[in-house]
Amino acid sequence: MKTFEEKWTAWLDGQLSGKELTEFEASLPDLAAAEAEKRDALKLGAFLKEQLAAQALSNEEFFSHQLHERIAHDTRDRHRSTSTWWTIPRLVWSGATALALFVITTVVLMSQHPAGEQSEYLTQILNSRVDPAANPNATIYIFESKNDNKVTVLWTEGLQTLPADYAAK
Amino acid sequence: MELRPLLLAVFLVLAMGAVSANAARVVWSGLVIAENVPQPAPIPPELTKLEQTLKDLFGYNQFEVIGQSDKTLKTGQEDWLANSKYFGLHVDARGENDAGYTLSLKLYKENDVLLETDANLSKSSPLVIKGPQVGSGQLLLVLVVKDDEVVRRRRHAEPANPITAGWYRLRRIIHNVLP
Repeated sequence: MKTFEEKWTAWLDGQLSGKELTEFEASLPDLAAAEAEKRDALKLGAFLKEQLAAQALSNEEFFSHQLHERIAHDTRDRHRSTSTWWTIPRLVWSGATALALFVITTVVLMSQHPAGEQSEYLTQILNSRVDPAANPNATIYIFESKNDNKVTVLWTEGLQTLPADYAAK
Repeated sequence: MELRPLLLAVFLVLAMGAVSANAARVVWSGLVIAENVPQPAPIPPELTKLEQTLKDLFGYNQFEVIGQSDKTLKTGQEDWLANSKYFGLHVDARGENDAGYTLSLKLYKENDVLLETDANLSKSSPLVIKGPQVGSGQLLLVLVVKDDEVVRRRRHAEPANPITAGWYRLRRIIHNVLP
């Protein structure tokens, strides 16, 4: 058994029909006032539905806009943090330049000291001669010491032996 | 705009390095008698760096200087004489090059020339000449390029020029690496 309020709500929503509708409308004291109230309630319902739907759309757009802003900001940040002067082409060019400089330096250094020439850090014997008349069997050897002193040695053999007196100062 | 003073500073440092590298040097020439004695005298200071090399090469335990000369070379064209009582070493410098000096050497025994040789004496490589046997010992001729005293004092007072030192080190490394 429905109460009056339940029947009233169902009538306002247009959910009563047939015998139930006829009995309810007959029970109303002023059908015209009730109809007017029904129209107002429907108008109010339609208005509220319209306003709520508009507000929901507005929030969605706002949220979407915020989301796009945030994504764009994050993308900018990520791009800025990973961006560097050392890009791949620049790395390649830097490496090629360094290699070229090394080759040029090496060539310059090598040209200052032709291959095969004796090192400038060692003394060079250009020529040497022993008086063949006084020392007919004399021979001369030239070599460098094997230690760190880099001593160049001119080694003579077969020179005439002299008496100890010649060691005088 | 800031590049110009920097380049000027680099140029000055290199120029100072070049000047110090070409400063006057002293060539020490010595007539040395090497022999084996029961109680060897200490080696003369000029030969201290060469002591072990001389011992290894000649097998003597004492090296006595019987004549010597310290010659400061300014033009690289000087000549000088290191004398003992009977021997004379005449050195004629015939120019300076990157490595050292071109020298013409003559060893005299009284008035006779025993040995003649021409050599490029390097600033970093001493020259040792084995002369005749003298009694139980051996006559040696030693030539060493020493730094000039002023240069040596300045080097002690001032640190080495890092650019020129680095340049010479780099050259040495490359020469050692590449045949």
